Amino acid sequence: MTDRPGSRTALAQVLPERTWTKDEIEAAAPLAPLPAGIQPVIAIRDLHKGFGSRKILRGIDLDVLRGETLCILGGSGSGKTTLIRHLMGMLKADVGTIQVAPAPAVAGMPSTEAGFELGAANEEQLATWRRRLGVVFQGAALLGSLTVLENVGLPLVEVDHRPANEIYERVVEALRRVYLPAQEILHLKPASLSGGMRKRVGIARAIIQRPEIILYDEPTTGLDPVTVSGVNELTLDLQKKLGITSIVITHDLEAAFTIADRIAMLYRGRIIAIGPTEEFRHSPNPAVQQLLTGSTRGPLTEAYLQGTSES
Amino acid sequence: MRRFSGTNTGELITRYARDGGTTVLSTTGRTINRQANAAGRALILFLDAMRAVREVAGSTRQLLRQIEHSGFGSLLVLSLIAGLTGMIMAVQIGFTLSSYGVADQLGGLIAITFCRELGPIWAAVIVLARVGAAMAAELGTMTVNEEVDALRMMSIDPVRYLVMPRIVGLIVVMPVLALVANAVGILGGLAVASGQFEQTSATYFQGIQNHLTTGDVVSGLVKSCVFGAIIGTIACDRGLTTSDGAEGVGRSTTMSVVFNVIFVLIADLIMTWFIQVPLKVVTG
Ligand SMILES: Nc1ncnc2c1ncn2[C@@H]1O[C@H](COP(=O)(O)OP(=O)(O)OP(=O)(O)O)[C@@H](O)[C@H]1O
Ligand SMILES: [Mg+2]
Repeated sequence: MTDRPGSRTALAQVLPERTWTKDEIEAAAPLAPLPAGIQPVIAIRDLHKGFGSRKILRGIDLDVLRGETLCILGGSGSGKTTLIRHLMGMLKADVGTIQVAPAPAVAGMPSTEAGFELGAANEEQLATWRRRLGVVFQGAALLGSLTVLENVGLPLVEVDHRPANEIYERVVEALRRVYLPAQEILHLKPASLSGGMRKRVGIARAIIQRPEIILYDEPTTGLDPVTVSGVNELTLDLQKKLGITSIVITHDLEAAFTIADRIAMLYRGRIIAIGPTEEFRHSPNPAVQQLLTGSTRGPLTEAYLQGTSES
Repeated sequence: MRRFSGTNTGELITRYARDGGTTVLSTTGRTINRQANAAGRALILFLDAMRAVREVAGSTRQLLRQIEHSGFGSLLVLSLIAGLTGMIMAVQIGFTLSSYGVADQLGGLIAITFCRELGPIWAAVIVLARVGAAMAAELGTMTVNEEVDALRMMSIDPVRYLVMPRIVGLIVVMPVLALVANAVGILGGLAVASGQFEQTSATYFQGIQNHLTTGDVVSGLVKSCVFGAIIGTIACDRGLTTSDGAEGVGRSTTMSVVFNVIFVLIADLIMTWFIQVPLKVVTG
């Protein structure tokens, strides 16, 4: 490879060397203007969240567009999971809003509801919103007392009350999509699966209700390269065939550049860079460049040395 | 070593009373406050679970699993403890009764004590230590592994799916366990009565018939249902409010046992005082 993304030479071509101050590095990237007539599915504005005195999110501004795959990069502990827990309606923001758009009209089932703000949503609104989401949890979050079949089919049994044979077929289909040998593992408990298999079962569960938006929390961490490509293909496939919107949290740069329409980087509680894949690759922000080159010298590692809490 | 003069010591004591004392008091106050909050939270959880009972038809599988889980595993050790307690009681009381020449009342005394008090309490202690602790640990693990969040995301209410079957299961199982404890305890007493005091089983059971009322048995069973509700609620509440990973799970488990012991005994005192005693006075 000659032109590695963000390698020193590539960088030098883009911008003259200059030093960035801490504030400049940590400043929030401006929101990109939306294409005319397009409403974001999710619009996050000035989102702040702290746990005790530790400020984890410090003013997140982010639009998620319908049908796009948005990758969010960020170091360990940078608040990626915290951010998507807000989108799930599991955490309430200290400051800021998350506006969600109504579900798109489907043939024969026009969308009547209006969009709403997640922080002020009532139980019913929250339930309809969650119904539109599929979540791939970081640790798969399968129920230990249920078999794979019961785990993946759980929402179909408990919420949709589908007949057993339909559930069986849909579970097998979902497992096939994540390259799992359905017949072999259907009746196993999660504890007897490998970590990577559990993760894929978690993905199968997330897609079984055919959600409109899928949140992936590090879907490919701990998977072998072949399965990683498989999961990436699955994400692309879901987007192309079903128009599913995906928000993917990942450490895996290659995966991000393969599947993303846009990439964002979360650093010290703010989105410091966001843009279409190529644009992101050429972001002059030293923190982004450090992430892309994988260098040990730069603002990312300094942050660890100084401690991440900020008052 | 610094030597304190009288005034200095006095000052120190005053200072302690002012600073140290308030520190101790405010920590105690905070703890009490926190636990009062936890108790209120548990009460709300219980009410929510009772509201979810309407949907018990959809949760029969979980309910049966819980009943099986909590019931059978506890039977053996509960029987052992109840039998031994019955024997010990018979030995202790038997000699006193004999010296008054009323040894034939032994069966009645043991039966009343077990039905009103010991059966339900032993069942509660065994269940809160075995089943309650396991529940807190299981739900705690599910909470820190985001499994509970996953349920919420699938629009499955964790109270309906996880908590309600556990509480209802314990409410169903506890009276059965209490009955077993009663029976085994009474038989343990009989063993000592016939072995040590050469009583026939007819005399022993006649004593029971003379003294034990339906009210004794029923009020004891009511107590055990309440204990079941308390144990299930506190265990689930501690489990669902777990944070901080594996360490938090351990803490929740311990706290579940500690608070269950306290609340079961408080509830026992209240029910004895305000239900069993008036009942006895009315029915004679
Ligand atoms: N409920 C909570 N209470 C207190 N602190 C929390 C809580 N949840 C998260 N944090 C803290 O917030 C920070 C960000 O956590 P988060 O899980 O969002 O990180 P992340 O970006 O997902 O990291 P990773 O890549 O390791 O998953 C961490 O330092 C964590 O300790
Ligand atoms: Mg995370």
